[in-house]
Parts: sequence; structure tokens; C-alpha cells
Amino acid sequence: MRTVTLVGLVVVAVLLVAASGFTSAPAGEEQFSPVPFDQTLKSGLTGVDIQQAEEKDYAIPKGQVFYGQYQYVVGFYGTDSLVRGATQQRYTEQFGEPLGIYVTDYTGTNPTLTDGQYLRLSNSAAQTWTRAEDVYFVIETPARTPGGPTAVPFGDRDAAAAFAEEYDGEIVDWETLKERQPTTGNESADRLNAPTEQRQQWANESVERARETLDRPVSVTVGEDAETIEAAIEQAPPNTAVEIPAGRYTVDLNVSKSVTLSGAGNRTVLDGRGEGTVVRATAPRVGIESLRVTGVGDTELGSPSTDGETSWDKSIELVYGRGDAAIRLSEAPRSLVENVSVETSANGVIVHNSTGTVVRDIDLQGSDTWEEGSMGVLAMYSRMVVEDSTFDGGRDAVYTHYSNGLVVRDNRMQNMRYGVHQMYTSDALVLNNTIRQSNVGIILMTRPTGNAIVGNHLRGNDVGVITVGAASWMTENVAVDNDIGLSIGMSRSVVHNNTAVRNEVGVRSATLLPTNDVTGNDIVANDQPVKTDLGTLNIWTVGGRGNYWGPIPGIDRDGDGVVDRTYRPSDTVDRSAGDSIGARTLAQAPTLGGLRAFQRSVPGLRPSSIVDTAPLSEPVHPDRLDALNVSTEAR
Amino acid sequence: MGRVSNRYVLDVAQREFLTVLRTRMLLLLSAGFVLLLAGLSWLGSSGAYLALIYDLLTPVEVLVPVFAFAVGYRSILGDRERGELETLRTYPINSTRYVLGVYLGRAVAVLAVVLLGLLVAAVFVPLAESEQLSVIASHGTVDSPALYLRYVVLTAAFALVVLAVAVLVSAAARSTRSGLALATVAVLALVVGLDSTLIAALMGGAVSPGGVDVLLAVSPASAYRSLVFGLALAPAGLSVPTGPAVVTSTLGLVGWLVGALVLAAVLAWRS
Repeated sequence: MRTVTLVGLVVVAVLLVAASGFTSAPAGEEQFSPVPFDQTLKSGLTGVDIQQAEEKDYAIPKGQVFYGQYQYVVGFYGTDSLVRGATQQRYTEQFGEPLGIYVTDYTGTNPTLTDGQYLRLSNSAAQTWTRAEDVYFVIETPARTPGGPTAVPFGDRDAAAAFAEEYDGEIVDWETLKERQPTTGNESADRLNAPTEQRQQWANESVERARETLDRPVSVTVGEDAETIEAAIEQAPPNTAVEIPAGRYTVDLNVSKSVTLSGAGNRTVLDGRGEGTVVRATAPRVGIESLRVTGVGDTELGSPSTDGETSWDKSIELVYGRGDAAIRLSEAPRSLVENVSVETSANGVIVHNSTGTVVRDIDLQGSDTWEEGSMGVLAMYSRMVVEDSTFDGGRDAVYTHYSNGLVVRDNRMQNMRYGVHQMYTSDALVLNNTIRQSNVGIILMTRPTGNAIVGNHLRGNDVGVITVGAASWMTENVAVDNDIGLSIGMSRSVVHNNTAVRNEVGVRSATLLPTNDVTGNDIVANDQPVKTDLGTLNIWTVGGRGNYWGPIPGIDRDGDGVVDRTYRPSDTVDRSAGDSIGARTLAQAPTLGGLRAFQRSVPGLRPSSIVDTAPLSEPVHPDRLDALNVSTEAR
Repeated sequence: MGRVSNRYVLDVAQREFLTVLRTRMLLLLSAGFVLLLAGLSWLGSSGAYLALIYDLLTPVEVLVPVFAFAVGYRSILGDRERGELETLRTYPINSTRYVLGVYLGRAVAVLAVVLLGLLVAAVFVPLAESEQLSVIASHGTVDSPALYLRYVVLTAAFALVVLAVAVLVSAAARSTRSGLALATVAVLALVVGLDSTLIAALMGGAVSPGGVDVLLAVSPASAYRSLVFGLALAPAGLSVPTGPAVVTSTLGLVGWLVGALVLAAVLAWRS
């Protein structure tokens, strides 16, 4: 046989095999089967909400979505977040169209509402998963989850009707439920701006109100009208001040009325002699100002651990909250601690159940190594303000535990484990703090929402900021000389106008659900601009504006401030272009353009990388770069 | 004379095929072509067949015409220059069969290389398997090798069409110099010229945007691209530009293939 016939036959055979591609239906029409919720990438609601529901045995309707271009199953807590995941463009662009959606089916579970209108299933074992298209959703009932109102899903029409009847609801199908979802304000243009102002305003008002305790008239002066501070407090009528002149006082104080302790600055020293907590306050509107506290007991009780019986957050409460402190405010709302200096190897100020309390202008000297120390300010169940203070050493400068809405601003923190450590805390504002030489500057844990981390300066830390959770803001921060500048583990959040300079890694993307708006950041002169963990392709451009990456290939031909070429900070050629003119010339090669023509397509199927389709030609904050002596010229 | 001359067709094809095998430059070029596709796939580390189609689409649209012309443009021209055409004409074979033989021989070579390149490129997809999250359930996506196979078939068809044009150029050329010039012009026309003309016509208002749909099928590259969009990417639920209908594009490609070969047959025997 001739060679040409032989090769020809092989070619034809290969083509025939390839042509079988036309006969097999493309995937996507296959039926998916629902997986256990634990095995999905979970999204929606906060860690607190879910934990609360689990503790109290409230039911949360859930969904799971199989996206066409994303291999992992995405789980959603709550019907609102499920609808968002199924309809919002940011999800469908990233992961493709949802091919299969399953919803918890409450048929046979006999759901009822508790007094608080929470859902409870009498027979939760009967819960199954049903395709969203086959589910009847009961809406407009008072039913809610800890996160807000919810639709209640049933696979069976009669079960839905019974529930609707009992709780005065209405039955809709999946299509209608999707249409009813209001477009959230988050989608509007101003969502890039953190709600700094309104939170600042609350803080200003709280500070003003708490500082009214400074205006109290002096009723008793220690040493003149009374022998000891204890006696002076005993003697002082409520809403007056106790004056404590300079001197060293050995105390174990318990302030149980609304008075102000007013010292003479650092020369007034309250010494606890190493025995337990030095000052305890248990009345509203207590003022403690202008003094120094030393001799704090050293019981810090170590690290919380789970013994299997106590839940993690309880154990935190026991371990951290019961340790010794310089000042402990408990049930003391709207109190003030101002101009106080503290030396402690345990806690500084514990604020427990004391909303509206303000800690300001304190100077805290903690332990040399964080393992020996504890928290500077420990906020528990207290929406409070910590401002204008200095923290050096110890474990964490500000540790928050169930303190939604607290404000931490204008502080200086250094040489510790974490600067600001938020647990179970949403809607907080962390503003204009300077945090240096610590393990982590600011860290959010336990999947909170609505946090704003704004205008902080992070220098020389292992990691500047670590975030998790959703619907949060990380804006206007400056991260310099950290191992990792900013680490994004949030979803549906905003990362805007930050400056990351001279870090080993400028910005790390640690989120598996890349649904963040990352734009307007100056990410320059880092050893590595970005690093991606597990995940898929992220597009860091919003509304035609990306980030500033320093000297990069491409030109801004039309002068609109955007370089007319996609930049890939996680790509070797593009990354080297900042360091070498040769690489920049190479990066301009039409070849590269041709190769990359479609490389943003099907992001959910691609390995993790970062793409900026509209990199900025000028830095957003040139002043910051100048101040940091960062050249934006090509080397 | 039917059966005999059919055998001659294969004889000619065999001779052409061996010519390609013996031309060291073409072997080098073939190796380069395969390596290039493999490299593209490796660099893109696409991890998904759909992503690979997107990554290869534009480079292949340029590389395939260049390669097909490299293999095809000297075919008939070479015979003419060496005076072998004169000899061949004394054999019991007509110009159609001669051109068919030339085309078949070269087509087998071109297809073998194109298919090899595309298959090697596909090997990197399962290899690009990145870290997996074992605790999270995963599922089949719209990505599927079947879509890639469709892309392979369409690309092979595109290669056949441009090779036909290359053979036509080879039949039309009268000297090495004019052959080279014609081939260059033809490659440029196929890769950018026809589409640029369309764009210009659209901008100049010579055609209406609606008319472009049909005219796109006239440019082999655009017809090929439309078919890839329509048959390999759209079924995955991707929003891709929809060009002319599959039928129009197919007709466009078939028209180029048949037209080029017929014209080549007419021109080949002319001296």
C-alpha cells in the first residue's frame, strides 16, 4: 500500500473519531444530583447568624447551584442569597449559567414559627433537596432567619398551601421569586464607597456623650475629703467626680455608681500589686481619666480551646473575658476611659455588655511576646469606640467579640500578634489606624458582613489585612513592607483605592468565590504584585477601570487614564515588564495580543489568576507613592 | 480509462506526499507548527477544553493558512518549473485528476500535522489539573472533549480550504518569484485582507450591517470562526458572537474549496 493511502486512512480515521464530537450532546443537560450541604462552597448570611440558628435549632432554607463553568457546587444560606447567586451578573459572568439549582424541601418536616418568628422543623430528618423549578415558595409570611425574612420552600403544593394558610403567606414559583428580588443598593455606583461617614457620626456622638462624664463637678478629693479612693467613691454622690491627686495608691476598686475618677495624669498611679483586676466598674456612665494603672494580675488564662463541650465562642468568652485586666467595665454602658496609661501582661480594658463606651487616648504597654500577653481592649457584646490610643506589645490591641458596629479609629499599634481582631462582629469601622511589626494588622474572622476597613496604615507586618466574610469594604488603606500587604478572602466586597507598596506580595486573593470589586488600587514595587490561592480567574476591573500596577506594557492612547491593554499581574511576561524595558517591548508584541484575545473567556474554568482589563495609566494616590519614595518610572 | 486514471491520481498523491516528506524545510516547519500549538496550550495551562479552544482560536486562524501555503504553493509550480508537467501530460491523466492527486497528497500531509498539533495541545488539558479541593463536591461543567473534537474537525476543514487556495496559487504562478508573491498576497488576503475589506466596506457604508452577516461567509477565516463559535462554543451556553448561519458559512467554505480546485485544474495544463 502506498504511504499516502496509509497516512490518509489514519487521518480520515482520526477525523471520523473527532466528528463523533458532533453526535454527543454537549454537557450541561445532564442531571445533577444534590450533594450534602457540607460539601458545597458556602455563601450567604454571616457566621454569627448561622451559628445562632444552629444553637437554637432554627432552620435556614438553603440552596445549591451547579454552574456550567465552575466545577464546584456553590451552596447558599437563605433564599435571598440563592436568588442572588442564580441571577446576578457577577455570578453568571464568573461561573457561567446555573445548570442545576436545588433548594431545601420542607415537605413533611412540619415547619412552625417560634415566638421570634424563626423557622423550626419538627421533623428535620424529612428535609430533602428538590429542583428549584419544582419548588413552591411561601413568601410574605413573618418567617425569618437570623439574617432576615425568608421564603419557605416546599416541593409539595399541599404542604406549601398549608403553611401559607397558617401563616398568611402567598405561594410563588421559582421564576416569580427571582423576579421579586429587589436589586440591592450594593449594585449601584456608590457601592465602592464605604459607609464611613455615618459610622463616624455614631462614633462622634458616642464620644461626645461619654465625655460628658468629664464635666462632672468634683465632690470629693482623695487625701482631703476622704482617706482612700474606696472611701471617696463611697462618699461621692452620683454624677460627680472624685479627684485623685498625684501619688501611688494600692487599690482593688469596685465602682458601682455613676461617678468619674479623675487623676492628675501619669503621676496618679493605681497599683493592683499583681492581684487580679485593678478597677472594676459596674454602673452606667463611669468615667476614668488621667491616671496610670499598674500591678495588674497576670492571669490571662492562655488560649481558648475546645474541650468538646463548650462551644468555641463560649470558650473565648471564658478564657479571654475572665482574665485579669487593668480596667474592667461590665454592664457599664456609655462609660469613658480617657488619658489612662496601662502596664499589663494580661488584658488592658475589658468592656463587657457596655454599649456606647469610649476608650480613648490610652497608652498601653503589653507583654514583650504575645504568647505571654492578652488583649489591649477587649470588646464583648459592646458597640464601642476605641480611638487615639497607643498599644505596644501584648496579644491583640483590640479584640472584638459580638460587638457589631464598633468603631476603632486613629490608633497606633505595634509589636503584637493582631492589631485589630474581629470575631463575630459585623458592620464595624476600622479607620485610620497605624499598625506595625505585628503578625497581622487587621484580621476579620467568622464570616462577618458589612465591615469597613478604611484608611489604615500597615507597615512591616507579616500580613497587613486579612479579611473573610461578605459585603464588606477595604478601602484607602496603605500597606508597606509587609510580607503580604492585603489578603482578600471576602466575597461580594469592595477593595478600592488602597496602596500596596514594597510588600513581598502586594495583594493576595484567597477567595474561592471571586465576586469582589477590586479597583483603583495602587499596587506597585512589590516583589510579586498578586498571589492567588485556590480559585479561578479573577477579573479586577469595575466599570472600565482597573488598578494601577506601575510601569506596565501598553499605552493610554485616548488619555482616559486607562491603558489600552489587558494586564495580567499573575503572568510572568506581564510581571517582568515592570522591571525590564525589554520585557515591556516583548509584551507589546502582537503575538501576545493574539494569543490572549480570548483568554478572559470562561473564567470559571480557568486556573486561578488575576486579570485587569483596564489597568490605570496613572496612580490613584500619587502623593502616597511620592511620600513612600516609590518610583513609577520604568527601571 | 476511469480505473487506470484513478490509480494515477493516487500515484500523483503518493509522489506529492513523498515530496513533502523529503523537503527538510517542510518537516522542520511541521515540527515547529506542532510545537507551537503544544506551547500555546502549555503556556495557557487552560485546564479546560473550552478555554483551550478560546486560547487557540486566533493563533490557529493565522498559523493554519501559513502552514498550508508553505506546503501547497510550490506543488504544481514545482512541476511546471522542472518541466515535469510536460512529461505528465503525455500520461493518460487529465488536468482535473492531476490537480486532485496533487491536492490529496498535500492534504494528507497538512491534515496529519494539523491534527497532530491539535491533539498534542489537548493533552495538556488533563495534565493542567490544578490543586483540587477534596472537601468540596465537584461536578461536570459544560466543558467537554466533544466540543474540542468539533473544533478539531472544523479546523481540519479550514486547513483543507486554504490548502485548495494554495494549490490554486501554485497552478496560477508561472515562476518561483511570482509564486512566492502570489502566495504571500493570498495568505495576507486570507488572514487579514478579506476581513479588512469587509470592515472597510461596513465603515464606508458599502454594505449594511445586515449584509455583513452573509458576506462574512465569503471570507474563509470568518466563515471558519463563525462555525467554531456556532458549533463548538455556543452549545456550551457561552455567549459568543453569532455570525452567519452554519449553512451559509459551510457553503462559503465549500465554495472556496471547490472553486479553487476547479480553477486550479483549468490553469494547471495551460502553458
